[in-house]
Amino acid sequence: MSEEHAQLPARPKLTADSWATGYWGPTEPDLHPAVYAVRERFPDAFIDAINFRDEMTIRVERARLRDVIAFLRDHPDQRYNLLTDETAVDMVRLRDTPRFDIVVQLYSIPNRVRLRVKAGVDDGETVPSLVPVHAAANWMEREVYDMFGIVFEDHPDLRRILLADDWDEGHPLRKDYPLRGFREYVQPGFTKPAPRIRTRLRRPQ
Amino acid sequence: MVIDFSQPTPVEISEERQLSASRREMVLNMGPQHPSTHGVLRVLLTLDGEVITSCDPNIGYLHRGVEKLGESHRYSQFVPWTDRTDYVAAPSNNLGYVLAVEKLCGIEAPERAQYWRIIMGELARIASHLVWLGTHALDIGALSISLYCFRERELILDIFEKFCGARLTTNMMEIGGFSRPIPPELPEMVRTFCKVFPGGQRDYELILSENPIWLSRTRGIGVIEPEVAISYGLTGACLRGSGINYDVRKAQPYLLYDRLDFEVPLGSHGDVFDRYLVRMEEMRQAIKIIEQCIDQVPTDGDLMLHGSPYTIPPHDTVLTTAEDMQRHFIWVIKGFSPPKGEVYSAIEHSKGELGHYIVSDGSPMPYRMRLRTPDFVNLQSLPYMAQGAMLADVVAMIGTIDIVLGSVDR
Repeated sequence: MSEEHAQLPARPKLTADSWATGYWGPTEPDLHPAVYAVRERFPDAFIDAINFRDEMTIRVERARLRDVIAFLRDHPDQRYNLLTDETAVDMVRLRDTPRFDIVVQLYSIPNRVRLRVKAGVDDGETVPSLVPVHAAANWMEREVYDMFGIVFEDHPDLRRILLADDWDEGHPLRKDYPLRGFREYVQPGFTKPAPRIRTRLRRPQ
Repeated sequence: MVIDFSQPTPVEISEERQLSASRREMVLNMGPQHPSTHGVLRVLLTLDGEVITSCDPNIGYLHRGVEKLGESHRYSQFVPWTDRTDYVAAPSNNLGYVLAVEKLCGIEAPERAQYWRIIMGELARIASHLVWLGTHALDIGALSISLYCFRERELILDIFEKFCGARLTTNMMEIGGFSRPIPPELPEMVRTFCKVFPGGQRDYELILSENPIWLSRTRGIGVIEPEVAISYGLTGACLRGSGINYDVRKAQPYLLYDRLDFEVPLGSHGDVFDRYLVRMEEMRQAIKIIEQCIDQVPTDGDLMLHGSPYTIPPHDTVLTTAEDMQRHFIWVIKGFSPPKGEVYSAIEHSKGELGHYIVSDGSPMPYRMRLRTPDFVNLQSLPYMAQGAMLADVVAMIGTIDIVLGSVDR
């Protein structure tokens, strides 16, 4: 690992005053050491890096997601060793393809920097599981499978977690899932299901 | 017939009752109505005698779809829902959510409101730790400690009630600050609590810290090594009990925590007893933080950010000026539209790192609302801790993670 990184050109150093309060890393993608390292190591998998509210987001190819996370964990200068969160977003109303985004929030305890890594995945495609890299991903990926129906390769125990094991109504956090479900439910003591109300405001086009 | 009691009695076991290695295992269903699972947690334990060979926590009995509800509510409407996730420390949940929305909008609450947010957050931390200590000790067998804990917690709930009228689901914070004024007697109540509480905490430590039963039930039980704790993504006292120094208040200070003087306690063995010590010290540090804040907080000044399109206009100008009345009407009926983007905002909750990941598409409702609750992630370490442990220690392990099922299931 160290020989491999010794060949890289010198990367920009962090300034001392940025550690003072609420440090979220350099705001310029080209100056961010993690972006720099990932782009050098995975030139074909790296797609882009954007910054919003001082939070850096790296977008990578789906097939290399686990390699990127493992690289960021083991790199002696990055050490993003805490998998804070792994979740998904159904992007069906915002773009055509791919449908989902897998969003991984990383944190480096020694460097005190956060980083977000995203990978697009379409309906029916699988994502490499992060459980071999971070054990914390186990239940988070089960929840993503439960709520979005995204299947993770090599996951040791992929089954529903929050919903019932025999839940047959689909995956609730998909955008085409209505707020009150597909089924008409008659509450105890009533003869008819409760009337459906408008649950969604009009969104700007 | 004379029976020789010095020799073991030969017992004939029929063929079908002889237990093979696989048949020695028994599956025990613990919960969801078990009193020491702190709610509706169900744990499937596979036992070999009294030793646990595998453990499968089964959650979701309290799932209410809070994330889906967040996507169908306007930003200001979701604040009451955050109370219902972790109902033991509701102000901390309010704080985490409003900080995430404020970060998304790019606004900041006035200084006085930030001080009061710290005070309320730390009071909620103490209240949550008191519930944890009372129920945890109750599970292990110390009955009286829960009565002591709830005695001091009552004072905190009185402060909450004085401020916002509610004791449990407080809904006290608003995007941009506080929507209610601070009652004039509130600082004195907080000061009185800071004087009273250390005496109460001495009571708990007198009962527990050198109690041989407590020590034998907690020392060396549920050990998590530091590298395992990081791999499992633990945060809060579960991580710091293993000796890893990560506290969001110190690592990435939010609000005004960088002005305050406090320390982060660390454990060394990573067992149940160390996590107990860490949480007891956290309560002491919380009192220290509250005392500093109550000395530094300005006595008058705005509690709400005014003049921003993202915050609710003040009540008196709504009734006197036409512009603010229109803005108030629009804010209530249509909500406000933050810029397009996504933020992840984390705070140090009493149980660990509480994160809110919000994706905005520029409409008055979040496109995606993700709650990264600390106890959902921390509960994953239960199978690791329980592997090879004794059945009676499972209640100590569940207690030491400090779960609230409303927050685990969301």
